[in-house]
Amino acid sequence: MKSYYIILRYELFSLFISPSTYVAAFYFLSLLALGFRFFIETFSNTDWLLPPLSSLIVGLLFGAPALIPFITMRCFAEERRLGTLETLFSAPVSNWILVIGKWSGCFVFFIIISALALCFPLLLLLMFPEQGGNLGFNEIENWTGSTLYLLIFGGTFTAIGVFSSSITKNQMVAGMLTFTLLTAYLSIMVFSFGNQTSDAYFTNYQKLTDGLFGTYINGLDKFGQFSVGLIDLSTILNQAALTIFFLILSTIQIERLNN
Amino acid sequence: MSVENKPLPIIEVVNLKKRFGRIQALKGISFSIGKGEIVGFLGPNGAGKSTTLRILSGLIPADSGEAKVCGVDLAQEEGLVRNHIGYLPENNPLPEDLRVIEYLRFRALLKGLEGSRLKERIKVVLDICDLERKISERKIGNLSKGYRQRVGIADSLLAEPRLVILDEPTIGLDPHQSAVTRKMMERLRGEVSFLLSSHILSEVEACCDRMIILSHGQIVAEGTLHDLQKRFVNKTTFQIVASSNKIDIQKKIRLIDQTCELLQDDPVEVSGKRRYNFSTDKGEHIAEKIVRTLLEENDIRISEFQIRRPDLETIFLRATKKNWEEHDFLNRTKI
Repeated sequence: MKSYYIILRYELFSLFISPSTYVAAFYFLSLLALGFRFFIETFSNTDWLLPPLSSLIVGLLFGAPALIPFITMRCFAEERRLGTLETLFSAPVSNWILVIGKWSGCFVFFIIISALALCFPLLLLLMFPEQGGNLGFNEIENWTGSTLYLLIFGGTFTAIGVFSSSITKNQMVAGMLTFTLLTAYLSIMVFSFGNQTSDAYFTNYQKLTDGLFGTYINGLDKFGQFSVGLIDLSTILNQAALTIFFLILSTIQIERLNN
Repeated sequence: MSVENKPLPIIEVVNLKKRFGRIQALKGISFSIGKGEIVGFLGPNGAGKSTTLRILSGLIPADSGEAKVCGVDLAQEEGLVRNHIGYLPENNPLPEDLRVIEYLRFRALLKGLEGSRLKERIKVVLDICDLERKISERKIGNLSKGYRQRVGIADSLLAEPRLVILDEPTIGLDPHQSAVTRKMMERLRGEVSFLLSSHILSEVEACCDRMIILSHGQIVAEGTLHDLQKRFVNKTTFQIVASSNKIDIQKKIRLIDQTCELLQDDPVEVSGKRRYNFSTDKGEHIAEKIVRTLLEENDIRISEFQIRRPDLETIFLRATKKNWEEHDFLNRTKI
């Protein structure tokens, strides 16, 4: 467990001393802030049914293909390029701990960026309590559900990034692969959005499979529930399983490299 | 020392084999290394040196055979061996963005050091590797190759290992930097066992207690320099610097030893004198007898005499030559 924290700290430290992550974070947050401001200003004229806070989460989620590659592309690709992965292998640390530690470092960095983005509505609430309250920024259930949704998908996205980074020595290739995989995943969710048949027409078997695997492609449909504070456990389990799947793939790849 | 009290070897390898696809990298090698010994691992490119070192470091598994490092059986507890050894990989890869001190702290934490022991060990290894405070604050990416190599060695010494495995530690270093590495090993001689692979034979000759020569995945020679000299070079070579001509000297020498041969047809001229190299099958005492006889001669003036012991390069070439002739470049045995 101690090695895990050391790897996590090392990964986080490497991200904090890398100029590329600062540049990516700055542009990402700036664009997100502009988009959020535009959305809040025009909110009354839109037919957006969910709480306004959800717009920020959707922005973070759909902006992830631009942000996550910058966070994860270094983690294994850079180590492979420099050859430092062999030095890491020579330390008393298992490959699984190495992958989990590096993923955690990237995920914590994603959480930090997301936390900064979530400061926008908080600032609005602090500076203009009445308007903020009208927009639902003071409702704790909106915050809990939306943040949880962001975290579980953020975890999966960073795991996909870590996996991409483990299969190449080239950071750019790792970044492009992460971008492609995340865009493809989000596209599938967008195309499947609203296609979910009502539960009333489902057989018991269909209900079971939907409960177990439904959110892999219908994740956006579940967002409606999360954004108003309704936690869907199957979505959490589905995303956790997907995250673990990509982390296992990364570990297999790292073990393959070691041999 | 009785057999019961004899300390266990730090490395004990029996019939170790490793194959990469069609290439048999190791064909059943066996050797052992005792506590505090400095052993040089020599061999041409592709001989299997790095593969052996990587297996002993617990990085890759062997296909078959037995290997015990610091009492740990690699077949059963491959990962555990990493707690006892320090390893410097070939080319010494280091993260370029970190400062030396940050990197050593990270590595020390990974190796289980903490608190005051961590600080103390970092201080000790910086001192052993001659990395002054100013250097330790610099980014690794900005360091010269020599300093980077010292950082790698400092890392391998952090956790007070019983065995340090160095894969080509002095490659690309200038003589001064190589001397620093040698000095470091001398300082730890007796306390820590070193297994180092190198192509720089003079380096190995200067600092190793024993050598293991590997060729095409097999051990072709093993022992101290003296043992190897005796085994691979049967003839005694000696050098005479004299002002006399070749025919006179040769005639006198042949009277004492019929087997003695002049090694080159045209002797090298050095400030009006000629340098002759001879070899004899009859050992050093005959060479000494020859020079005593020549000194007694009035018409021959000798200004220099030296018995030339074969260096490691000669031994290396002879040890690997036979094995080299038996294999083609793809490591396949010729029929």
